[in-house]
Amino acid sequence: MSFDAELIFSALRALTPILFAALGGALCERAGVFNVSLEGTMLIGCFAAVTGSWFGGSVWVGVISAVLAAMVFSLLLAIGAVTLGADAVVLCIALNLLAVGLTGFLLRTVFGKQGTFGDPDLKGLQPVDIPGLESVPFLGRALSGHSPLVYLSWVAVAVIAVLLSRHPWGVRLRGVGEAPEAAQSLGVSVARYRYAAILTSGALCGLAGAQLALGNVTLFSENMTAGRGWIAVVAVMLGRALPIGVLLAGILFGLVEAVGFRLQGEGMPQQAADAAPYVMTLVALFLATRSRARRGAAPPGRLTGRIPRPRRFARTTSEPQS
Amino acid sequence: MNDQHAAAPGDIAEVEMRGIVRRFPGVLANDRVDLRVAGGEIHAVMGENGAGKSTLMSILYGLQRPDAGRILLRGTEHSFGSPVQAIAAGLGMVHQGFKLFPSLTVTENVVYGSEPTRRGLVDRAAARARVAELVDTHGLHVPPDARVADLPVGVQQRVEILKLLYRDARVLILDEPTAVLTPAEADRLLEVIRGLARSGRTILLVTHKLGEVMAVSDRVTVLRDGRVTARLATAETTPAEIALAMTGRRIDLDRMHPAGTPAADVLDVRGLTVSAGRGAKPLVEDVSLRVRAGEIVGVAGVAGNGQSELVEALAGLRPIDAGRVLVAGQDVGAASVAQRRHAGLAYVPEDRAGVGAARDASLADNLAMGFHRTPALAGRGGFLRRAAIRAHAAKVIERFGVKAASSAVTIGTLSGGNQQKAILGREITHDAPLLLVEQPTRGVDIGSIENIHARLVEYRDAGHGVLLVSAELSEILALSDRVLVMYEGRIVAELPRAEADVHTIGLAMAGGGPARPEVRPDDDTRPTATTTAHQA
Amino acid sequence: MTASKAGTAIEHPSGPAARWALHVRGAVFSPVTVSIVAALILGAIILAGTGADPLTAYGSVLTGAFGSEGIGDTLGECIPIVGLALALAIPLRAGLVNLGGDGQLVLGGLAAVSVGLYSPFPGAITVILALLAGMLAGGLWAALAAVLETRCGVPLLVSSLLLSYPAMSFVSYMVRFPLLQKGSGIPQTDRLPEGVKLPEFAAGSGAGTGVSVGIVLIVLAAVVYFVVDHRTAAGYEVRMTGLGARFAGYAGVDRARLTLRLMFASGSLAGLVGAITVLGFPYRMVDGALTTPGYTWTGLLAALLAAASPLGTVAAGFFFSALTIGGFGMEQETAVPQQLTAVLQAVVILFLAVRGGIFRKGGWLHRLGRGPDGAAAPPPDLETGVLESGVLEPAVPEAAVPEAAVPEAAVLDTGVAGPPAPARGDGGK
Repeated sequence: MSFDAELIFSALRALTPILFAALGGALCERAGVFNVSLEGTMLIGCFAAVTGSWFGGSVWVGVISAVLAAMVFSLLLAIGAVTLGADAVVLCIALNLLAVGLTGFLLRTVFGKQGTFGDPDLKGLQPVDIPGLESVPFLGRALSGHSPLVYLSWVAVAVIAVLLSRHPWGVRLRGVGEAPEAAQSLGVSVARYRYAAILTSGALCGLAGAQLALGNVTLFSENMTAGRGWIAVVAVMLGRALPIGVLLAGILFGLVEAVGFRLQGEGMPQQAADAAPYVMTLVALFLATRSRARRGAAPPGRLTGRIPRPRRFARTTSEPQS
Repeated sequence: MNDQHAAAPGDIAEVEMRGIVRRFPGVLANDRVDLRVAGGEIHAVMGENGAGKSTLMSILYGLQRPDAGRILLRGTEHSFGSPVQAIAAGLGMVHQGFKLFPSLTVTENVVYGSEPTRRGLVDRAAARARVAELVDTHGLHVPPDARVADLPVGVQQRVEILKLLYRDARVLILDEPTAVLTPAEADRLLEVIRGLARSGRTILLVTHKLGEVMAVSDRVTVLRDGRVTARLATAETTPAEIALAMTGRRIDLDRMHPAGTPAADVLDVRGLTVSAGRGAKPLVEDVSLRVRAGEIVGVAGVAGNGQSELVEALAGLRPIDAGRVLVAGQDVGAASVAQRRHAGLAYVPEDRAGVGAARDASLADNLAMGFHRTPALAGRGGFLRRAAIRAHAAKVIERFGVKAASSAVTIGTLSGGNQQKAILGREITHDAPLLLVEQPTRGVDIGSIENIHARLVEYRDAGHGVLLVSAELSEILALSDRVLVMYEGRIVAELPRAEADVHTIGLAMAGGGPARPEVRPDDDTRPTATTTAHQA
Repeated sequence: MTASKAGTAIEHPSGPAARWALHVRGAVFSPVTVSIVAALILGAIILAGTGADPLTAYGSVLTGAFGSEGIGDTLGECIPIVGLALALAIPLRAGLVNLGGDGQLVLGGLAAVSVGLYSPFPGAITVILALLAGMLAGGLWAALAAVLETRCGVPLLVSSLLLSYPAMSFVSYMVRFPLLQKGSGIPQTDRLPEGVKLPEFAAGSGAGTGVSVGIVLIVLAAVVYFVVDHRTAAGYEVRMTGLGARFAGYAGVDRARLTLRLMFASGSLAGLVGAITVLGFPYRMVDGALTTPGYTWTGLLAALLAAASPLGTVAAGFFFSALTIGGFGMEQETAVPQQLTAVLQAVVILFLAVRGGIFRKGGWLHRLGRGPDGAAAPPPDLETGVLESGVLEPAVPEAAVPEAAVPEAAVLDTGVAGPPAPARGDGGK
């Protein structure tokens, strides 16, 4: 196997759905919502993308449908977890299964197909050649010729990074996740920011689904997300919910997937390639918690998918009335 | 707005609360409280735990609504539905537990929610400049770019003050501001407070530390049991007068229970230290104490001075950083909770709903905890004897007078007093040589309080040792054979029953008490009857 | 919640008819019932939307599941669904979520089929060895997830799920390559030798999916779970951990050890289900046959629905099995895709979660004191019928509540709220 431009190309393509979903997860994490429904929301996005593209006759109708459908889907999480105060994890487990059932059901009722829907007439995302870049020897073949959503995902990283670090909205969002009562005491509505984070995460998962179903392939098949949403959850943890960190974690998984795919072409069993990202994920998590524990930052059992709290503030006891 | 009978214009108070009443079920937290604070003054609001200070301040700051009463700021009536409105009216509050974002910088914390912007993004330069300016103006010495998590507690407190100044608060409410500070940090803070008052701001200082009241305040309003008991000018009063107003003349509860007859040690703690993480002062620092069979040792102190952490460390729920703990002669410093209980320890925790019981489990199941592996309740192979569990529950329920329809009801449906009686009953039934008891009567009705006190004395008289932690001074006095006072993680006073009175303890709780004599490890004669009175 | 109440009622049959009336009312208006009814109504709306008559469709679900044709299939479906529901209920009883059922299931199947193919012992002994091997394989894999949580701090939710995927890939590889039946186009292992199989009930009914004695093993597992849960000190500690993790810790229950044991038990049972499945028709392992139907997820939903109580889990598992099989009947009768039943299963749990029935509300809304407090206040227990009189604790102003009180409310250990320094508060378990 050689480490060439095509490998980078396929790694970047594999990265995109994970990256979109993980950015969404990172926003939720920052707002203090443990969102493990990325998998299901992405699947809804996949289905809506294919449906929109098929009936709308345009791939962009598909992309927009994916975004809207995934946002509506994530609204269920927002209402349940934020307004009604239900347990987010239980909600997310149910939502993930709802997505599997619902897309399977709709695949049958809308397309009359079982398992997979694909059609030569189904419009997928067309590759975009970046003028100037495409002729650069190595980089051209690695970076040019991706679907527009691939480039959009890079833009999204930058936008979200700036948003979180510089924009009042992002700074307040971080505060809401870190110390909701402090945010509330300064007149910032925790509920509003959490709704915004969850819905934005829905939109990003929709884009992830669109890229998966109309970019990486051009079809819908049941459960086609195949755990990518969970890898995104781990990418959020590894990347400590920072856009750049999430990007780096995502690149790691994208590379593993691409390398696995390549090795598969060279005779390695497909199952090894399938398992590789998960094994990688576990190893990465293990190493991350190990080194963190060694530094004494987060004792074992504390890495919870949330941003580790550097230190205790409030005293643990206070009086009801002084 | 109807304010005809306001005083003459020159006499308008900056803050005036009139006839504030606030009820909680079973408690009258504020009973027609009047508070009048002149502009530019440092006004201390004093009282013991539960006197109603925090409730009063919560009302002023819009966190709670009063059941009756009016709030006037510079003669204008206000009714705050939320702190946001109070902030808009020029009030600001530093809470006892800080409300900061640890991972954000000082500047980000200060401007949070009202950030200066430039082309849509946060104008960091402008924000930083404004914060730096405030820091300079008020001599606060806070680095604007540091992450709050990296700052010592004292500096974090000044960040809280910066937040108020940034929002242009004219009236600053500081709730127990020195509770988490070291003495040096506290001195700095008092200096800052004086500076703020000089710059024309009004300070409401909620505290029960006599020392700082005397050092910094202009006037004092003292609350007791929800009522104002004194309004004093600091220059014209004495600590003793304030302490008297805070504590009142109480019935001498000691007489109710005869003293115990101490025997062998059941708890021996040497040099126990519990750290709070890097950089912070320890939660419990070098604490040595003993509890003997047949005595109740009371630990008095203002809440948050390390008592909870001490007890949790003894019970095995919190890791120990240094020191030795012997329970009934066994070294349990590194032992698990189960091993400690086996060694002879029972524990009634402060948080009875969250720690002492499983709310949604039945009373019978809650009462079986800890007995579920004993032969009485579990037969061969660990099979539970349901009938025995019910009988066990019935026995505890009857013996401790728990009011419940049956042992099948979930414990969460019982009143606080009945929950507490059940938990106390369970732990007493363990018959362990040592019983740790935290806040046994908090939120408990009067009838249950007497019952609980009687049980504790009875337990002592049966030859067990009790370590009692309570924020209620009257409870400490009523029950203890010996009183330890904790202040800032240390034991600062040790008083035998005969010498323990409200004023001595109160003074020590406020950091001004008689010091505890050095205990040498080889010192066999415990200094139970001596108290030297040199300063801490 | 209903299930546990019912359980308590069985243990304390202290009251006469009036008390039973209260129970009936409690059951009818319980969150579980309300959620199921709400989901069925939503299902009816969807059915009507697709042009089918809801009543006909639901009728065909019933006949499909319980008719003479269907009841055997329903019972057969119970083996994996009830089995996995029980497997996942075991840790859930202590508030721990095992999402790795699929991996544990297929590893159990693989271990059993390997033993079955290569064991030198006679049939009956081989079957027992195969079952044990399946349990061991699933149990160890699940225990690994527990170790990852307790030693390395990877949340169980994530560690168990992530371990599941490589396990599935590994099993798929083994079936497709080393153990592949030669000359067959189907990715499956060789058939187990004659005599290495679990005998079937109702052999005369003809259909290949007769009910094997595996169902007896599942019933046995349910009985063991019931007895351990209700009658033993160990089960008591598990229940108390689920109802109050901090309470159990305070009383001396070792959480790390408990997690390890529960996960081993959980994985063993999942592995047993895998073993039972490959030891039944078609007496071999077919790649994907164990995971494609999504038994793990259906089982998890059933366990959630029943709050992991033993009898309730069996009932919920049976309900979901019937719904799944009935869904096929509905599809034949009305051409409504059977996936609708999966949708309904998920919707039941959504409603239930939102009702806050099983899991107490840990919503930050309450902490901030701006939530719908009235709505959130726990109603007087139907079982007692009375709220204890006496002085309640002073209502603490929300803002002054120690943060310690915060995230404990969620019984579920999701890894969201770590020990004493969780995200939104100082409390933790």
